[in-house]
Amino acid sequence: MQQLHAFLGRLSQYAVWVGGAALLGAAILVTLEIVLRGVFNVSMGGADEISGYIFAASTTWAYSFCLLHRANVRIDAFYNFLPRPMRAALDVIGTVLLLAYMGILTESASGVFLESWANNSVSITTLQTPLWIPQLLWLAGLVLFIITLIVVALYSLMTFLRGDFDGVQRLTGVRSVEEEVSDETHGMGTKAPAGGA
Amino acid sequence: MAVWAVIILAVLVLAAVPVAAVLGVLTFLLDQMANDGRFMPAIGEFVWDKSREFILVAVPMFILLGEIMLRTGIATRMYAAVVQWLSWLPGGLMHANIGTSTIFAATSGSSVATAATVGTVSYPEIEKRSYNESLFLGSLAAGGTLGILIPPSINLIIYGLITDTSVPELYLAGIFPGLILALLFMAVIIVACLIRPKWGGTKVETTWSERLRTLPDLVPPLLLFTVVVGSIYAGFATPTEAASVGVIFACVLAAWTRTLTFTMLKEAFEGTMRTTAMVMLIIMAAVFLNFILGFMGVTAEILKAIADMGLTPLETMLIIIGFYLILGMFMETLSMMLTTVPIVFPIVAHLGYDPVWFGIMITVLMETALITPPIGVNLYVVHGIRTGGKFNDVAVGAAPFVIAMIGMVALLLIFPGLALWLPSLVY
Repeated sequence: MQQLHAFLGRLSQYAVWVGGAALLGAAILVTLEIVLRGVFNVSMGGADEISGYIFAASTTWAYSFCLLHRANVRIDAFYNFLPRPMRAALDVIGTVLLLAYMGILTESASGVFLESWANNSVSITTLQTPLWIPQLLWLAGLVLFIITLIVVALYSLMTFLRGDFDGVQRLTGVRSVEEEVSDETHGMGTKAPAGGA
Repeated sequence: MAVWAVIILAVLVLAAVPVAAVLGVLTFLLDQMANDGRFMPAIGEFVWDKSREFILVAVPMFILLGEIMLRTGIATRMYAAVVQWLSWLPGGLMHANIGTSTIFAATSGSSVATAATVGTVSYPEIEKRSYNESLFLGSLAAGGTLGILIPPSINLIIYGLITDTSVPELYLAGIFPGLILALLFMAVIIVACLIRPKWGGTKVETTWSERLRTLPDLVPPLLLFTVVVGSIYAGFATPTEAASVGVIFACVLAAWTRTLTFTMLKEAFEGTMRTTAMVMLIIMAAVFLNFILGFMGVTAEILKAIADMGLTPLETMLIIIGFYLILGMFMETLSMMLTTVPIVFPIVAHLGYDPVWFGIMITVLMETALITPPIGVNLYVVHGIRTGGKFNDVAVGAAPFVIAMIGMVALLLIFPGLALWLPSLVY
């Protein structure tokens, strides 16, 4: 389980790099389009459409990374006052509920892809993109997220049943504000504050 | 039905369920109860259509732009230049903190990034020039909040998306209130240092030749601001296009300062994608919930309930402002916006308030939330830069600036034109 968790960690990191690079690519494409339009008065067309696909897919590819870094937003005003075992229980429940919601979304999303695939649907633009291509990339991110959610849910449940509540915190707990800050400013030479909130 | 929605929402929120799942589960349950689950199977189609919208691409682009700018190291030079121009005022370098934050805010859409960047550069000066540490730290935390008011702003894009308000108009509307708020911050510092001159630290020697020599260091951020924001106003580019050009500009700038490396880009990508995923996961759930709520007439129900209370629009607005000031002490700003705006906005719009004006108002309230304890993210950012000391020092130092922000809220209420005049010239 631990190995699987670590493997997903590496995989999701690669996914984020690819997604980020694709986004930078989209920025270059859009800039090119503007320069061509402004200076030469010609339009390649389709830069907006392609960057939309890149955005849709790269976002779902980053969901796993977000989960593994416990970056999904949770409101901890009440949670913080609970004893550790209860917090750990809520961590597991929260993950399972996120899995439930994403399960519904992903099932419905796979229907979207399968329909485009079966009907050979193309976008109603000059590009006439076969829609199943971007939809498959988009769906792939969602599936990776579901797999990660299942692994994290099982792993944290097992850790919970062992009574290792600190372990659950490290897997799916709400991040402390200190962690939050050091993450938002990493590479900036700022350190996490030494306690005493 | 509205009662059920509130109960389910409260239970899930108190249980610290991830916000995206809170909204998703709520949507599912409401759909089951009211529509026999007819709409939920359409969520895939709905999310796919939403998630490739070109205007949304502006969100990751502006985040990426900020992440790269953060790592170009231009902040150090900018700070040195602003010091030359502003440190003659009573309060010395604290004015440079506000000034640099204002300029940096014009290249960054994030308050946390602004506070962290300016803070890291200026922190060593506290001891060197024997400033009152508390007030100095407060000026950093408060100055940083300008990041979300002065365009580009990630918060304003998200507000625009949730409420269907024009992002260019919001950006235009944010400029004057942002500058006025910066001036109010500086007024706070001047007043504090006139009462207690010792707080102002030792003087920095400046000369006119030095002032002129450092001027070019202010060019890159101002150029970026002109390119990004200017092209939106000129109608030459959409926000997404402007942000894309900004990303390329930031890369060129990074290449020029020799900070453009693979490691740097990988870090910037990680930061960008983590924030994007976090925000989009919630936005998608929120937008679908809104769709269901609108269909079920829940929004209309809430509006009717408020109308039945017989409050004037101003009274309702004051209650909303009070609600955000209190909530802001305990909640992180982005989750606060994403969860409350879909409910609050229809009320405000129904009362006849301008959506653009309310966007600016809510952003100033979010800025206040960033520096009010116990949960004020900018306070933690600034505290994180220090080598020791109590968290309270920062919170106390930021308190006078909260007064300036409440003053700004009052100004916006009395003179809505502060926000609306500039957009009215263009649109």
